[in-house]
Amino acid sequence: MKNHSIVRLIKLISPYKVLVLITAVLVLLANAAEIVKPIILKVVIDDFLIGNNPESGLYSIKAMSILYMLVIFLNSLFTYAQANIMNYVGQGIVNDLRKKLFSHIQHLPLSYLQKYSTGRLITRATNDAEAVNEMFTDVFVSLFKDIVLIIGIVFVMFQLDTNLALIGLVAVPFIALVTYFFRKTIRENFQVVKSLIGQINGFLAENISGMKLVQVFNRELEKQREFEELNDKYNEATIFQIKLSSVLRPIIEILQNITIAILIWYSMDSILDYSLELGVVYAFTNYIKQFFAPINDLAESYNTIQSATVSADRIFELLDEEEVLEDLDTGMEVEGFKGSIEFKNVWFAYNDEDWILKDISFRINPGETAAFVGATGAGKTTIINLITRFYESQKGEILIDGINIKEYKLHDLRKNVAVVLQDVFLFSGDIKSNIRLNSHISDEEIEKVIDLSYSRDLINELPKGIDEPVRERGSTFSTGQRQLLSFARAIAHHPSILVLDEATANIDTKTELLIQKSIDSISKDRTTLIIAHRLSTIRQADTIIFLDKGKIMEVGNHDELIENGSYYKELYEAQ
Amino acid sequence: MKEKFEVFIKKYGFSYLVVIIFLISNIYLNSLAPRIIGNTFDALEVDGFNKDTILYYLGMLILVSIIGFITRFIWRYLIMGNSRKLECYLREELFKHLQTLPVEFYQERKTGDLLAYGINDISAVRMTFGPGLANITNSIGMSIIVVLSMSQAIHPKLTLYSLVPVPVIIYLMIKIGSLIRRRFTIVQENFAAISDRVQENISGIRVIKAYVQEKEEVEKFQILNDNMRESNIKMVRASSLLTPMMELCFGFSFMISLLYGSSLVKSNIISLGDFIAFNGYLTMIIRPIRSIGRVINISQRGMASYKRLDNIFKVKSDIVHNTGDPNLIDIHGDIEFRDLTFKYKNAEEPVLKNINLKIERGKTLGIIGDTGSGKTTLVDILLRLYNVDEGMVFIDGRDINDYSLSVLRENIGYVPQDNFLFSASIKDSINFSRDIYSDEEIEEATKLSLIYDNIVNFTHGFDTIVGERGVNLSGGQKQRLSIARAIIKQPNILIFDDALSAVDTKTEDKILDHFKEIMNGNTGIIIAHRISSIKDADEIAVMNHGQIIEKGNHEELLERRGHYFKIFKDQYKEEAEKVENEKS
Repeated sequence: MKNHSIVRLIKLISPYKVLVLITAVLVLLANAAEIVKPIILKVVIDDFLIGNNPESGLYSIKAMSILYMLVIFLNSLFTYAQANIMNYVGQGIVNDLRKKLFSHIQHLPLSYLQKYSTGRLITRATNDAEAVNEMFTDVFVSLFKDIVLIIGIVFVMFQLDTNLALIGLVAVPFIALVTYFFRKTIRENFQVVKSLIGQINGFLAENISGMKLVQVFNRELEKQREFEELNDKYNEATIFQIKLSSVLRPIIEILQNITIAILIWYSMDSILDYSLELGVVYAFTNYIKQFFAPINDLAESYNTIQSATVSADRIFELLDEEEVLEDLDTGMEVEGFKGSIEFKNVWFAYNDEDWILKDISFRINPGETAAFVGATGAGKTTIINLITRFYESQKGEILIDGINIKEYKLHDLRKNVAVVLQDVFLFSGDIKSNIRLNSHISDEEIEKVIDLSYSRDLINELPKGIDEPVRERGSTFSTGQRQLLSFARAIAHHPSILVLDEATANIDTKTELLIQKSIDSISKDRTTLIIAHRLSTIRQADTIIFLDKGKIMEVGNHDELIENGSYYKELYEAQ
Repeated sequence: MKEKFEVFIKKYGFSYLVVIIFLISNIYLNSLAPRIIGNTFDALEVDGFNKDTILYYLGMLILVSIIGFITRFIWRYLIMGNSRKLECYLREELFKHLQTLPVEFYQERKTGDLLAYGINDISAVRMTFGPGLANITNSIGMSIIVVLSMSQAIHPKLTLYSLVPVPVIIYLMIKIGSLIRRRFTIVQENFAAISDRVQENISGIRVIKAYVQEKEEVEKFQILNDNMRESNIKMVRASSLLTPMMELCFGFSFMISLLYGSSLVKSNIISLGDFIAFNGYLTMIIRPIRSIGRVINISQRGMASYKRLDNIFKVKSDIVHNTGDPNLIDIHGDIEFRDLTFKYKNAEEPVLKNINLKIERGKTLGIIGDTGSGKTTLVDILLRLYNVDEGMVFIDGRDINDYSLSVLRENIGYVPQDNFLFSASIKDSINFSRDIYSDEEIEEATKLSLIYDNIVNFTHGFDTIVGERGVNLSGGQKQRLSIARAIIKQPNILIFDDALSAVDTKTEDKILDHFKEIMNGNTGIIIAHRISSIKDADEIAVMNHGQIIEKGNHEELLERRGHYFKIFKDQYKEEAEKVENEKS
C-alpha cells in the first residue's frame, strides 16, 4: 500500500518532466560542489602544508581559497534555483491534486458525503494536500540529493582507496537494520496520530456547534472528561513518536564516530610505513562525515515521508472511489420537461433493508400540483431525494415525461427540476449571489423573482436590499425568510418541475402566510410537488397523496379525501 | 495565556532544568569530537607515532559519542515530550475556556475559525516550544561552546577573522525572516480561505447539486487554489534564500580560515591538527546556524498563533460559574419576571422591554409571537445564557443570580429550536454523556416523547448512531429525541422552545397530552407559532417587538379580539368564523 501511494505520487510528476530534469541536473551540480570542497582542502593540506610544494600561479593557497569560495557560490546558486523550481513543481502538483479532490467531492453522491464527515473532507483538501506538498518540496529533492550525494561520495572514496572505502561503509548494514526495525512502528503510530487528530477535530467541531446545549444541560464536566480522554490518547501516541525519533537520529551519529575510529585504527599501520598519505585519511574522515550527513537527513525526513504517505493514502483512497461519482454529462439531453411524473413500484432504503419507501406508485400530470402528507418519518422527504437522483431507488422506476430518469443526462434533469429544501442553505455573499448562484441572471430578473416569490417585503426591510450581505449559513435570516429566498432562487432558474419541502419550524404566522401566497404564485403553470406540513397549503392541490410508514394510504383531492378518505380526514379534523 | 504558561512552567520547570544540564553536557561532548580528531591527526603526523596513544584517542571518541547519545536522548526527549504535554494541556484549557463562553460569543464566530485555534494554532505553539526551542538552545549553546574552544584552544585571531561574516548573517536572517513572515501570513490566509470554501461548499452541497453548480464551484475554487499556489511560491522564494545566503557567508569564513589558517600553519604558529580541528569547528557551527533559519520560520508562526490564542483566552464570560448562595440547591418552579428589560451587548435597542410575568409552580405558560419578538431570549435568560441585573428575574422568590449555574440548569429541562444531536448512540444522546439512567428510564422517556416506536424499528435500536455520521432522522424524529433528552431529567421547569414545529399535529396532540402527565406539579413554558401547541396553557403571553402585548388564557384572549385572535383567524379560518358568529 505504501509503495503504491509513493509510486502514484511520482507518476504525478510526469507533466513536469523537463523541470524535474533540470532540478536533477542542478542537484547533481550542487552535489559535485559538495564533493569538490574536501578535495580542495586535501590539496591545500597535502601539497602546501605537509608537502611544502612551491606555490605558483593558480597552483597556490590563494587560488585554492578563491576556487573554494567560487564552488560555494555556485553551490548556493544551484541550491536556490533547485529549491524554487522543485517548489514550483510541487505546488503545481498539489494545486492539481486539490482541484481533483474538490471536483471529486462535488461529484460524490450524497450517500457517500454522509459517510465522510465534513471535517474529514476538509482535511483531505487542506492538511492532507499540504502534507503531500512537503513530500515534493522537501522529501523528493533531498531524497534524490542525498542518494546522489551518497553514491558520489562512495564513488570518490573508492577512487581514493578501496580498502578505506569499504571500511567507511561498515556502518551501512547497521543503519539498514535500525531503520527497518523502526519503519513499521513509526508508520503505524503515525496512522494512529492522524486518526486521533481527526477525532479531536471532529469532537471540537461538534461541541462548538452544540455548545449552547452542553451549557444548558450542565454537561461541561462530562464533555471535558470525554475530550481529555481523547486528548490523552493523542498525547500518548505523540510521545511514543518522540521516543522513536529521539533514538533513531542519535544512533546514526554514534555510528558515524565509530566508523571514523575504525578507519583511523585501520590506517595506523599504513601511515606508519608511509604507504598511506595522512591527507587521504583526513579526506576520508571528512567524507565519512559527509556520507553520514545525508543519512542523518534521511532519518530526519523519515517522519515527513511517513506523514506524507499516510496523507497520500487517504487522498488516493478518496479519489479511488471513482465508480460511485455522479456522471453529470452522459445520457439523454433535454431542454425542458412537459412535466409528468410517475413512480412505479419504488422501494428505497438509506441503509440495508430499513425500507423508507415501500412499493410507491403514483402519477402526476403536467402542470398539476401534487401534495404529500403524512406523519414525520413517513418518507415524504425521501421522495424528493429520489426525483433528482440524490439517492437511487433500489427497486422500481421513476419516470418523467414517460422516460426513466436514469436515461436523462443528470445535468439536464437537475437543471429542470428545482428543489427547495426544508432546511434552506444560504451561502455567504449577498442576496443577489444567493439567488443567482453561479448562473447568469440579470438584476432585473432577480427583482422579478423577488416579486413573484413574495419576498419583496423582506427585501424592503433590508438596508441594502438585494445587495444585503449574507453571513455564514444565512444566520441573520429566520427560517421563513430563508425559505422565501430559496423560492426566489428556485424560480430564477426556470425549472419545468418544482419540488418544495415546506419549512415549518420557527415560522411565524405572518411569514407563513407569505410562504403560502408564494407557493401559489410560483407553482402556477408548473408541475409542482409539495411536501406539506400545513394542510391549509394544499387544499388547492390537484392530488393529495397520504403517506404512512413508507406506504401510500390514500390518493385524491381535498374534497374527495374529506368525503371518502379516513387518514386525511382524521388529520384534517385534528388541525 | 500567560497564566496558563506559568502553571505549566511550575509543573514542568524542573524538567527544563534537567534539560539545560544535559544539553550543556551534550554540546560540550559534541565539541570534544573535532578536538579529539584533531589531536589524533597531530599524533599521526609524528613519525613513528605510538599506536596506544591513537587507540586511546579513538576510544575517547567513541566514549564521548556514546555519552553524547545518552545526554542528547534525555534532553531532546524532555523538550519534545514537554512540548507535546504543553500542546495537550493548552488544548484542554482552551476547550475548558470555550465551554465557559456565552452563546453570544458563538454567534459571532465561525466554527471553522474556532477549530483552527484548537488544532493549527496550538500545534504552531507546540512547534515553537518543541523543535523550535530544541533547535535554538542547541544552536546557541553549540555556537558559544564552539567559538570558545576555537579561540581558546586554537587561535583567537583566526577565530575572530573567520567570524567576520556573522553580523552579516544575523542582519540577513532578520531581514529575510520578516519577509518570510509577511509572505507566510498570506499563505495562511489563503489556506484559511480554502478551508472555509470547502466547508461551506460541503454544507451547501445539496443546493449545489440541485442547481447543478458543480462545474462553476470548481472554477471558483480554482481561483483560491491558484492564489494558494502563487503565495506559496512567493513564500519559498524568500525562505529558500536563507540557507544559500548563510552558506555563502560561511564560504567567506572558510576562505579566511584557509588563507589565514594555512599561513599560520606555515609559520608554525598553529599545528596542522589545529588547522584541521578549526575547520571541523567551522563545519560544526554551520549546522546550528543553518537550523536557525528553520527556527525563524517556526517561531514566527508560533508567535502569531500565541497572539491569536491569547486573544481567545482573554475573552471572558460575564456569566460567572458556581457563585451564588450555596444553600440554594433546589428549585420548585415559581418564576417571576419583574419589569425585565434586556439588551444584547452590542445592540442599541433592547430586545425585551418591561416584561412582567408570573408563573406559579405547576402552571404552564404559552408564548406566541413573530420571529424576532424576543421569545427565545426570554427563556435564554431563564437559563442564564445571558446575564441580567439583579431584581428582574426571580425563581421561588429568590433572584436568579443567587442560584449557581449548575443548580439552575440541572433543574430546567430544555428542548431547543434547532435539533442538534451529537454523534452518539440514541441512548447516549438521551442520557447526554451522563450514564446515570437505567434502560427502563430511557425507554420511558422515549415513550413519553413518542419516539420509542421509531427507535425499536431501527436495526440497532437504542444503539443506533445519530448525529453527523449517524442515520438520517427526520426533523420530527430529531425533535422528539431532544424532548426525551429533556424530560428524562424530570426537571421542575420544562421549556419547549418551538419544539413541536416539525412534528405533525396528531403527534403534537399526543405529546401535549403526555406533557400534562410529565408536568404534573411542575412548571412548563411552551414557545410556539401554532395556536394548537399552546391553547391549553394556563396562561398565554403574546409577544411583539420585545414586549408582552396580550396576556390571558386561550378563551380570554380570543374574546379580546386582539393580536392573538388575528393569529387564530389566520390559522383556523373556519373556527374563527364560528367564534365570530357565536358572538354576533
